[in-house]
Amino acid sequence: MASSTTKDHSHIEIDGINEESQQMTEKDIVEKDMAPLPGSSIHRSSSRPQLDVSGAAIQGNFEEKDPAILLPNQTDDISHLALDIGGSLIKLIYFSRHADRQVDDGRKRKVKERLGVTNGSRRSYPILGGRLHFVKFETSKINECLDFIHSKQLHCGGMDPRCWPSDAPPSENAVIKATGGGAYKFADLFKERLGVSIEKEDEMNCLVSGANFLLKAIRHEAFTHMEGHKEFVQIDQNDLFPYLLVNIGSGVSMIKVDGDGQFQRVSGTNVGGGTYWGLGRLLTKCKSFDELLELSQRGDNSTIDMLVGDIYGGMDYSKIGLSASTIASSFGKTISENKDLKDYKPEDISLSLLRMISYNIGQIAYLNALRFGLKRIFFGGFFIRGHAYTMDTISFAVQFWSKGDAQAMFLRHEGFLGALGAFMSYEKHGLDDLMVHHLVERFPMGAPYIGGNIHGPPLGDLNEKISWMEKFVRKGTEITAPVPMAPPATTGLGGFEVPSSKGVLRSDASKLNVGVLHLVPSLEVFPLLADPKTYEPNTIDLSDHGELEYWFTVLSEHLSDLVDKAVASEGGTDDAKRRGDAFARAFSAHLARLMEEPAAYGKLGLANLLELREECLREFHFFDAYRTIKQRENEASLAVLPDLLMELDSLTEDMRLLTLIEGVLAANIFDWGSRACVDLYHKGTIIEIYRMSRKKMQRPWRVDDFDAFKERMLGFGDKKPQPHKRALLFVDNSGADIVLGMLPLARELLRRGTEVVLVANSLPALNDVTAMELPDIVAEAAKHCDILRGAAEAGGLLVDAMSNIQDGYKENTPSVPLMVVENGCGSPCIDLRQVSSELAAAAKDADLVILEGMGRSLHTNYNAKFKCDALKLAMVKNQRLAAKLVKGNIYDCVCRYEPAS
Amino acid sequence: MEVKGIDGKLEKSDSTSADEISHLSIDIGGSLIKIVYFSTNSKCSTNDEAPTLSKERQEVPNGDLNHHILSGRLYFIKFETSKIEDCIKFLSSKKLQKCGAQCHHSHAVDKIKIKATGGGAFKFADLFKEKLGLTLDKVEEMESLVTGANFLLKAANHEVYTYIGGQKEYVQIDQNDLYPYLLVNIGSGVSMIKVDGDGKFQRVSGTSVGGGTFLGLGKLLTKCQSFDELLELSHLGNNRVIDMLVGDIYGGLDYSKIGLASTAIASSFGKAISENKELEDYKPEDIARSLLRMISNNIGQIAYLNALRFGLKRIFLGGFFIRDHAYTMDTISVAVDFWSKGEAKAMFLRHEGFLGALGAFMNYKDGSTDSMPPQLVEQQAAKRSSSCIVDRIHNSTHVQENENGATDCRLRVSSSFKIYDEVKRC
Repeated sequence: MASSTTKDHSHIEIDGINEESQQMTEKDIVEKDMAPLPGSSIHRSSSRPQLDVSGAAIQGNFEEKDPAILLPNQTDDISHLALDIGGSLIKLIYFSRHADRQVDDGRKRKVKERLGVTNGSRRSYPILGGRLHFVKFETSKINECLDFIHSKQLHCGGMDPRCWPSDAPPSENAVIKATGGGAYKFADLFKERLGVSIEKEDEMNCLVSGANFLLKAIRHEAFTHMEGHKEFVQIDQNDLFPYLLVNIGSGVSMIKVDGDGQFQRVSGTNVGGGTYWGLGRLLTKCKSFDELLELSQRGDNSTIDMLVGDIYGGMDYSKIGLSASTIASSFGKTISENKDLKDYKPEDISLSLLRMISYNIGQIAYLNALRFGLKRIFFGGFFIRGHAYTMDTISFAVQFWSKGDAQAMFLRHEGFLGALGAFMSYEKHGLDDLMVHHLVERFPMGAPYIGGNIHGPPLGDLNEKISWMEKFVRKGTEITAPVPMAPPATTGLGGFEVPSSKGVLRSDASKLNVGVLHLVPSLEVFPLLADPKTYEPNTIDLSDHGELEYWFTVLSEHLSDLVDKAVASEGGTDDAKRRGDAFARAFSAHLARLMEEPAAYGKLGLANLLELREECLREFHFFDAYRTIKQRENEASLAVLPDLLMELDSLTEDMRLLTLIEGVLAANIFDWGSRACVDLYHKGTIIEIYRMSRKKMQRPWRVDDFDAFKERMLGFGDKKPQPHKRALLFVDNSGADIVLGMLPLARELLRRGTEVVLVANSLPALNDVTAMELPDIVAEAAKHCDILRGAAEAGGLLVDAMSNIQDGYKENTPSVPLMVVENGCGSPCIDLRQVSSELAAAAKDADLVILEGMGRSLHTNYNAKFKCDALKLAMVKNQRLAAKLVKGNIYDCVCRYEPAS
Repeated sequence: MEVKGIDGKLEKSDSTSADEISHLSIDIGGSLIKIVYFSTNSKCSTNDEAPTLSKERQEVPNGDLNHHILSGRLYFIKFETSKIEDCIKFLSSKKLQKCGAQCHHSHAVDKIKIKATGGGAFKFADLFKEKLGLTLDKVEEMESLVTGANFLLKAANHEVYTYIGGQKEYVQIDQNDLYPYLLVNIGSGVSMIKVDGDGKFQRVSGTSVGGGTFLGLGKLLTKCQSFDELLELSHLGNNRVIDMLVGDIYGGLDYSKIGLASTAIASSFGKAISENKELEDYKPEDIARSLLRMISNNIGQIAYLNALRFGLKRIFLGGFFIRDHAYTMDTISVAVDFWSKGEAKAMFLRHEGFLGALGAFMNYKDGSTDSMPPQLVEQQAAKRSSSCIVDRIHNSTHVQENENGATDCRLRVSSSFKIYDEVKRC
């Protein structure tokens, strides 16, 4: 599918949906076979998008709301908790494990056998799948922290699953890992209140292992921040060490890190976050650190700081490189006799203080980096809080003094290094082995609002979430206007002029840009990528503001349709409406947040946005908004498949191949992500649209490598090339797209002796066909076609379903297999750095990759290079994308063929 | 031409009638104006307890041609920049103008030039012209600092001292092993200069957290009206009330693994985040102490890191921040000692605040190849009087604060020099 809507604004009638449902009920059998209840997808829990609910809770009639569904977190099994108790803040990390209920799925077992995936044997799985949650509290409110732990029963967890029924009182020797000074100071309190012992971990050790983990395991963890511009840095794992780690807590520690567990605290300063907050409180009467930080956004330090210009009468001191706006002396102007504290604006004081401290830290950090020849300085700790001005100031100091030689980088999980390190110190967690592709970061509904708030309570329960959304977020799909970035004017910073990139005025400076880390050990890097290191899935770079605005508009305009569909898919009940409403608010809030700060959740690509939407839908328990539509279209398409196959079989080999590719491109028009296409649906039957669409397939297409592909397939002249051994077909939409487009192409490949693996989504996304649905579609198609039947049998697709219709049937020649694997994701796009292990296994012997549809071949992977032959097929159903990517128009086609590189 | 005039004047000084300022230079910083002048007449310094030298002139024994030594005194005086009017008054009361007129009888009054450095040399150039008819001949600030420091380090005995464990110890600098060193001038802000020789230097670092920060923040936090009052307060304070110590975080324990004692400051002002207390609830003494420690420590650390960077073992601290204040010196010394593990040493200069002004003073040479700047050949003050002078600096600080303000410490004479003026020609 593809994703995106055009500017065409037609509306989908709710009536249409009702018709669909009626139609559906007429064919009970199809419903049963083709639309597995959404809950069952949970069972495949090794795949990437794990849901927030347990499968058990939503089994059965999904319209009958079992309260368990609404309390997904109650079913979480907490197994780990680690704390970093600093002078000002308590950082808490807990791990929730989602019970791994492996379903003995016949198809899957068959696929695994064929692909040589034996359960768990490819890697000894020491890594638990689950989620890491990040929470913080003020140290002075340690009781809130204790209450939180108690309410979630975090202290009762343990590696032993037998302990999991967590109402059991903690055993005598229950131990939690903690670091920071408070691990010593508050040990008794923990014992008394929670009955647990604190096992103390060395603070520096924790900081380092936390930082190493983040730098290795999280893709968009580190970023630079210069003059208001945030840029994520790709860290080369092999070139990570040595680096300087600067942790800015109440005080500042500077640690030279040479490797895992190899480090030395080389310096530090007592002028840190505590100084800013302490002095700031005394001077401004602010009630919180964040309030103080926020004040600074509106400040002007030139009323407080003595600038070079103040001394030099407005002139630069150019000989030593100091401009007039350089700060000569922080607070140097407040020596004036006639004024006292109340005569200065708190805003100005806060800014001046912030600059003084940030700059000082940057300078000392640079001097230490220089001392050891370190080029990279990573800044962590809760002082920074994603605050643009702080980061700019530090960056500037490093840049200024090093003359560009050293680089300041910041970490998204800045404050949690120590806590993470403490967490890592649990034995047997296996996190050390975790690779970057095993981790998926999700930004749940709360992210724009509650994620990382200083203290709970957690909104675990869906009902609470909905109420919260209703209470705090205005309804609507409007996107708040972006706040303009850095004004051109600059004010100086001592020795160290810095642009006053106060950055985005964020009302929520305290908000962490940290989501929940999903640990999915079964994810792997797609083995056929030519160069995984340089691979970038996103074709469209949303750091271009215009582009960003466009897609945000598209997504928000599409939102009400999507909500209607989603609500209808759940029977249109009041509850569904309420959830739909909450989803709309939550997603709009995400969009608004991202519009304000595009890099808030890491590097933002279109794929991330589209995935965020799907995740958000699932969060509000809309598991398959397009279920009925997909079913109807599959049925309609399957009905005309036999005619199409007959037509194809009557053609010559040459003509057939062209017709097949035309067919794929034409069928790709059935895309519920595209508004233009949605409009078409109301004007004709599927087969009519398909035929009309195919008629328009005038070659040459906008990107047309068909001849090269044909030569590879059919040869030239007398030369008959070897058929491919195995082809991976990344399929897109349900209905005509899969049935009339991709299946006939698969059939052709099978006929030529190529094994075919259909690669489909693990979880629903728009009307994309899922790996769960495919076997039934194939089975239905196989009823009309011997080639498909033989191959599907050989591929194990028919074991459960239709295979035994003709028990006596034996093929003379054993067919090459047709298989189905899940891709490990639940998004209309695909990031090939994180695919399911079964797809990775299937790729082993593959020598042809076919990516179909806008989402997978244009929005992502258009520029991806593969080790094997690759064919990218899509119809561009978006005018802007057509213009941008292929310099063409809407409905232009792309047939891009690239031989093995 | 200029210098020649001065030379001429010096030669003629026998016959002129005393209390004349022959050379004067001025360093106008962000907070303070520092003036150094040479007077051949000792009578002007009536309250000067230093040994009075008679003006004398003598042949340099091994000198070629017409060498003569003019002896007199160098006077050091400072004003607050915000009270520049007082400075102007002071200057007009001196016979400087007359001197200038004498020197340049053939020129217009506006040709009188005095050497000046610091940002104010630019900022207040017009004011000086207008009120005094003086042209400020600008000398580059860093250059002045370095020249002044080199001069003092070479020429003055008992100029340099260390301060360790409450003990002040004078250091004899070996002239042949002076360079390279790090000069840290702590004024309103801080400049750090690597000095490799006469006129050979580079500003390698600096920080905006300096004396101005101490006074500025101190004023906001304590209502103190002057730097010295603030310093005085800090004497009586206890920083543990305000600073978050390692022990506060670690429940009284050391964090010995990384060498932090429980009394080490983990976070300056880190305890002030407490919700129950407001500014009024803290004693100004404690605040002043905490502030002083934060700034001194920070300067010590950055200075050390820069010394380390260039392999410099000696760090000389100048500027008007220190003021012979024991706690300040102790903090800086400890910071340098701590971070360098004893490798590097912080040393203080008795004429700390006057480096720039002295350097500008030494600059009376430009435009003339045939003369050399005044050079110090000998310090007359005995060791005893030196310490006495140091004490007096301290006393006069009091005078400044408590009585007349900055203006009237005009006779803060710290020592006496013989000025050796070599005139090659003549």
